Amino acid sequence: MDTSSVKIILQILHYLFFGYAFAAIISYIILSFISSKETIEYIKKRSFVNYKDILSSKMSPSITIIAPAYNESLNIVENVRSLLSNHYVNYNVVIVNDGSKDDSLERLIKAYDLEKVHYIVNEKITTKPLREGIFKSKNPAFEKLMVVDKENGGKADALNMGLNISTSKYVACIDVDCLLLEDALQKMIKPFLEVTDSKVIAAGGVIRIANSCEIRGGKLIDVNLPKNLLVQSQILEYLRAFLLGRMAWSRLNGLLVISGAFGIFDKEIAIAVGGYDTNTVGEDMEIIVRMRRYMEEKGEKYKVSYIPDPLCWTEAPDTYKVFISQRNRWTRGTIETLRKHRKIGFNPKYGWFGLVSYPYWLIFERLAPIFEAIGLVYFMILIVLQEVRWDFAISFFLLAYLFSVVFSIVALYSEELTFHQYKKKGTGFKLVLLSAIEPFLLHPFVLYAAIRGNYDYYFNKKKKWGNMVRKGLVNN
Amino acid sequence: MVDYQYIYDYYSNTPHLIKWVWWVSALLAISIIVLAVYLKFIRLSLRKKSNETAKFKSEYEALLVEYLYSGDESGKLTDSQKLIINRIKDSIKTPSKRKIIVSVLYNLMNEVSGEMSDSIKTFYYETGLIYYAFERLKSKKWNIIGKGISELRRFGIDEASHVIAPFINHPKSEVRSETHLYMVNLFLFEGLSFLDNLKAPLSEWIQIQLLETLQRFDNQEICDIRPWLKSENNSVVLFALKLAQIYNQFEVKETLMDLLAHENKEIRIETIDVLAHLYGIEAKEMLKTNFNDLSLEEQISFFKLLEKLVVPDDEPFVEAYLFHKNFEIQLLALKILKEINFDKYIGFTKSSNNNKSLAMVKAVKML
Repeated sequence: MDTSSVKIILQILHYLFFGYAFAAIISYIILSFISSKETIEYIKKRSFVNYKDILSSKMSPSITIIAPAYNESLNIVENVRSLLSNHYVNYNVVIVNDGSKDDSLERLIKAYDLEKVHYIVNEKITTKPLREGIFKSKNPAFEKLMVVDKENGGKADALNMGLNISTSKYVACIDVDCLLLEDALQKMIKPFLEVTDSKVIAAGGVIRIANSCEIRGGKLIDVNLPKNLLVQSQILEYLRAFLLGRMAWSRLNGLLVISGAFGIFDKEIAIAVGGYDTNTVGEDMEIIVRMRRYMEEKGEKYKVSYIPDPLCWTEAPDTYKVFISQRNRWTRGTIETLRKHRKIGFNPKYGWFGLVSYPYWLIFERLAPIFEAIGLVYFMILIVLQEVRWDFAISFFLLAYLFSVVFSIVALYSEELTFHQYKKKGTGFKLVLLSAIEPFLLHPFVLYAAIRGNYDYYFNKKKKWGNMVRKGLVNN
Repeated sequence: MVDYQYIYDYYSNTPHLIKWVWWVSALLAISIIVLAVYLKFIRLSLRKKSNETAKFKSEYEALLVEYLYSGDESGKLTDSQKLIINRIKDSIKTPSKRKIIVSVLYNLMNEVSGEMSDSIKTFYYETGLIYYAFERLKSKKWNIIGKGISELRRFGIDEASHVIAPFINHPKSEVRSETHLYMVNLFLFEGLSFLDNLKAPLSEWIQIQLLETLQRFDNQEICDIRPWLKSENNSVVLFALKLAQIYNQFEVKETLMDLLAHENKEIRIETIDVLAHLYGIEAKEMLKTNFNDLSLEEQISFFKLLEKLVVPDDEPFVEAYLFHKNFEIQLLALKILKEINFDKYIGFTKSSNNNKSLAMVKAVKML
């Protein structure tokens, strides 16, 4: 290969990286404009809503909260209490004890006065069998509670058991350690009842970070900004993702993921597609993609809705080790889902879903860390070869950095002008400061975890969920 | 001086692309400073606004309570009441204060009744707040119109009905919903006449709200719902079915029988459910005859109806579905058989060869 050919290849690479970064930035700008429009519309609409009637009406649709639990003995009693304190009238709670090795079941039996009951399970989705059986409380105060003890099969299998058990029209799948606000169900059910021109198949909510928040009796008392910089950075990251990204995709009806921590589904559709996939670590994204695919193939108009109100609060990893493990799993989940449903990508038969949503996820979510890693390696090679044009490198780096800071501040604006959760004096300044340092605190680890995720997906097939240590919110 | 010269030389010789990048970077850097400062300002003003709102709220609350308790038996406005009205009249010129006053007034309205409630309504008229609400109805913005209707509903201003009625089929669902709620809140079952002209779909969300509103009133004398059961608007039919069920409309059974052949499956299913509630024996025989032509969901609904209305003569029919492939139908059939002929049911527990079915038969026995 002569020198001119090498130069041409280098030029192509330069333009490729430039084009990719430019497209990514443009897409973020477009998404933030769309999200601001959607947010304004949402806030206007919200001011008309009267949730009281829905709360008390016997005509309101039934919802089953399905919460899988595995070795949650430490906080399970308090967490269940929090789930039972929801204000919605027509709901029940199914705790699926997924073969826990600790004393979760015993603690629940004792705390809620449970007894074994005869219950005929309609096994529409195949799951691991029951272990101790199904329990209900003898105390009428806990009549909404049902505890299912089954053999271990993983989170997806436990959720499938919940789908089989539920007799409600809608199911809310949540992580048992999440804190659900009392008005969460009526807010989340609204899109299902409100939309008349299409069928709402699922609705997802915003997940907020509860580390350092004051929680008493299963209720959120006070919102605080944690001291841990890693957790703070994740707060900013969640604000960007939920208030800018997902809000925009919701307007475009292009949401591909509803957080596994909290989402409501039309049970009939969820069962029709076969429930959660037990062979993936990204079951929350996979089921949404499969439900959408099912509706597209049926040719029915449908919608995946999104509620931006802060309804579900969860504990974020506070150590880099756990954080990397979590992000590694998210990456593998995304790869698995996109690969499994690759037929959708760039396929006009799937309309907007196939031509915009899927390609966007593939290019700007799935491939982003790969592009970035290759770019970094390429940059290092150029340094070694002393081929770096430093004025180019510095100016573009600065541009990318400043853009990311502006983007984070825009997310902060969105938060301040809508839900305004971080009210305390000085928090605003801290969050702005955080916007400036977060690209160095969080992004390198996100990138590392994503690359590890890719590696594990292709070369370490045995790796499953990974380590996700939680300290519990109740004792905060 | 030398440094500046160096920068100038660098800038002059740099490619256009890089010049552009530096300019955009500078712009972004300035934006960050401006945005950060403005964010501080926004947070401050939000805090200030929140404090001011709390302050005005308590101030107006005290004033309005004073207004309520300074009335006399004649029902005419006293001097002190007139004084308070004049004070408020000045305040409502500011939109934010007007908003607070309306909210305080509405909260008070919810807490009082009878003469005091009338007194609040008088206050609403005398201060001119009603004028602002009517003005809102002329707005081009849908959310302002919606707010206007909502306010007029909350204060029970029935003379606005002719201005509000045209919004029944407004393109924005929020405005439509507010209109429907206004009609029902102020005119009860008579207000439901908007259903006659409703072209847009009535969402389940608003249906629940309308039903809850209707149930709040003492007068539960419902009008004739048959025209709505025959409506071309499917959502109106579904709503009428809910009314039929809640208000036990036995007299509409004949119309319900016609709906069993409706082209919309959801309506057919709901109709079976309502007929089950209204003891529609006639429907049972008809559906039994056409059972195989029904969709699976209708078949399940029919078995639920049968569970309520079963008689010993239905036994042969039920027996035919004891091992139906659908779980719900099988379960219902087993439950029904257990109810009407327990001995025969026990016989099944011994004779069934299918393990899965046997397990289910045994489980039903335990229920």
